[in-house]
Amino acid sequence: MASVRDRNASAWLLPAGPGTNHGLRDDMRRFDDDDEVDIVIIGCGAGGSTLLQRLARAGWRAVALDAGPFWDPLKDWVSDEAGSHHLYWTEPRVISGADPVPLGSNNSGRGVGGSMVHYAGYTPRFHPSDFHTLSADGVGADWPMEYPDLAPYYEDIEGELPVAGEDWPWGDPHSYPHRPHPVSGNGELFLRGARAAGITAKVGPAAITNGRFGNRPHCIYRGFCLQGCKVNAKASPLITHIPDALNNGAEVRPNSMVTRIGIDENTGKATGVHYSRNGLERFQRARMVAVAGYSIETPRLLLNSVSQRFPDGLCNDFDQVGRYLMVQGAPQTGGRFDSEVRMWKAPPPEVSSEEFYETDPSKPYKRGFSIQTVSPLPITWAEHVTAQGHWGKDLRAYMSDYVHWACLGALCEFLPQAGNRVTLSDEKDRRGMPVAHFSYSQSDNDRQLMKAAQSAMENILRGAGADEVITIQRYAHLVGGARMAADEQHGVVDSDCRSFAVPNLLITDGSVLPTQGSANPALTIMAVTARAADKLIVRTPTGPR
Amino acid sequence: MTALPLEPEAGGGRFPGFVATSQIGHWDDATSAVVMARLGLPPDLRFFSPTEEAAARALFDQLLYQREDPRVPIVNMVDARLAENQTDGWHYDSMATDGEAWRSSLSALDEDAYSRHGVSFAVVPWDDQEALLQDVHDATQWHEFSGAHIWSLWTRYACTAFYSHPAAWDEIGFAGPAFPRGYKNIGVNKREPFEVADARPQQDPLRSPGTSGNGGGK
Repeated sequence: MASVRDRNASAWLLPAGPGTNHGLRDDMRRFDDDDEVDIVIIGCGAGGSTLLQRLARAGWRAVALDAGPFWDPLKDWVSDEAGSHHLYWTEPRVISGADPVPLGSNNSGRGVGGSMVHYAGYTPRFHPSDFHTLSADGVGADWPMEYPDLAPYYEDIEGELPVAGEDWPWGDPHSYPHRPHPVSGNGELFLRGARAAGITAKVGPAAITNGRFGNRPHCIYRGFCLQGCKVNAKASPLITHIPDALNNGAEVRPNSMVTRIGIDENTGKATGVHYSRNGLERFQRARMVAVAGYSIETPRLLLNSVSQRFPDGLCNDFDQVGRYLMVQGAPQTGGRFDSEVRMWKAPPPEVSSEEFYETDPSKPYKRGFSIQTVSPLPITWAEHVTAQGHWGKDLRAYMSDYVHWACLGALCEFLPQAGNRVTLSDEKDRRGMPVAHFSYSQSDNDRQLMKAAQSAMENILRGAGADEVITIQRYAHLVGGARMAADEQHGVVDSDCRSFAVPNLLITDGSVLPTQGSANPALTIMAVTARAADKLIVRTPTGPR
Repeated sequence: MTALPLEPEAGGGRFPGFVATSQIGHWDDATSAVVMARLGLPPDLRFFSPTEEAAARALFDQLLYQREDPRVPIVNMVDARLAENQTDGWHYDSMATDGEAWRSSLSALDEDAYSRHGVSFAVVPWDDQEALLQDVHDATQWHEFSGAHIWSLWTRYACTAFYSHPAAWDEIGFAGPAFPRGYKNIGVNKREPFEVADARPQQDPLRSPGTSGNGGGK
């Protein structure tokens, strides 16, 4: 395998220490709307950025549009919770269902880097079992690929981020390129409690440099990972894939909101994208289009791209677009210690356990959950406290006790259901584009997992010596909504992320995942995209033109 | 701002002498600008009508137990967000957008106050205000709202404003911004030189008066 630098030089293209390579951006290649580029990519997050970098390396004339800014971390991001509101997708959306899922800050990013700008940094792999839950357990779905198809791409991406952690015993056992980080009070208590409860827990996997990596510095343990890493220690595509893409002739066009994909009514092929920039309606011509807007915006864009050929929305001939959207049940349990924990010090991603990940035949439910340290900052911690019914004087009293709390979070594998989906609302955004309506309801299996996860976290925290535990019910992550499947009656794209309906349209983001395991999705989104890019390049041996 | 008034039994004075902003020399400029703006003159009201303002002030005083000055200017901070339509990026299909939901819920609060006490919410005595709010908190349905949804809207905006303020950080021992300095001493019972230990570590709010001071711990 080529060294990381030989296949992705991003970390060596950044300035030493924190900062941005402004020259690389200033000198970036810029295409005209009338240039028929080889590919236009919609969205610059985990999927879009990876695809851009891979194709630019292969000599493709590629441009990626993002609705948000091209961040300069030192200027645009702050070491402050409330001041980081602009990192989230906060344009209007409507939520409903029996268990409506709040969006925005928790699960939606904007700007170059996508939600990996504000994800914690956990990058676990999926387990081999995740790829065939329907055959094995009669729940969920089978992927049109198996774990070994993805394994080499996991390894590649882990090298490029890079990921730090102990040797990993679960799923397909593997090791990580960077050694595990030292742990803070929160991680220490998780490890102590897990030992007492007889549960295996390991440090990692966190996509945060532990030691220098190219010009990227070591983590400084400041704890504001969810507010965007000003240090350049935590991986996001803004620093892990975009610099190399630019250096290979790609363009990133920020502040460009794609509202519709153009279709040739005769051939049924995509012709480019309609987008809005600086108040002007524009159209970028392209030979190929890749959608990477994530699980809410990708279905919204497809459904809004209506034509004579696709009267119900692009790629929606079989009513699959927007369906099988998943969130993970993500209860968080806090434990109170007389010692000072000060859980906000050090990155939230420290220690995790996948001991409960797989189906346990002795339980009434299928599939499982993982447990990880989380370290809510004060505003988020206040949500935990108000969720217990405290307000007024009680709230202030509880909050004054903040230094004494440790906090764990679970990720429960909620199952894909056809009715959990994005549709278009009657409500419009400021451009006149219908906003997404996301309806979500849990299944019985989902609810059982939430309970089991809470009880496991309570055991661990009590095992560590907590005298009281409190739990908040919440959700995390999004995947699905335009899933891959064996055929067009069951999904929107094939295993190479090619849409069934439009020959020159790809979808390369989290929306293609048929199931989600109890793993944070970022690494898998990147690996699935890196694989799709490889397949695309191999399919086009003479080059894109 | 001097320390926010809070009696010891409500958690006041646990971190004597701790002032988060004393570390400003170690913060980056972008962060300092954002944080220190909260200590300046609060923005004028643009969103709430005078009637809504009065109800909102009383509501925030109750939710955050701010009974006397100096106070964190929650009403200005929330008003600014609503004027700028700085929402969290979603609303329930059964509920209006945040701004409209704020207006109608404040009006509903006044309606309750008039029907029970014959005056607007802002001039209802403290204890009666508290009782009115506890009823909203406990309600499944309150006026046209789901009780849980409206309570969540109120507390999310209120807590986001309050716990973004350095004076609130002082009260809970949180030092705020940490770039470019970072932390050197991480781990249970480890502190940086500028951090102050909790003066009353046994003051577990869960060990309410009348229960054992040892809690249920191992």
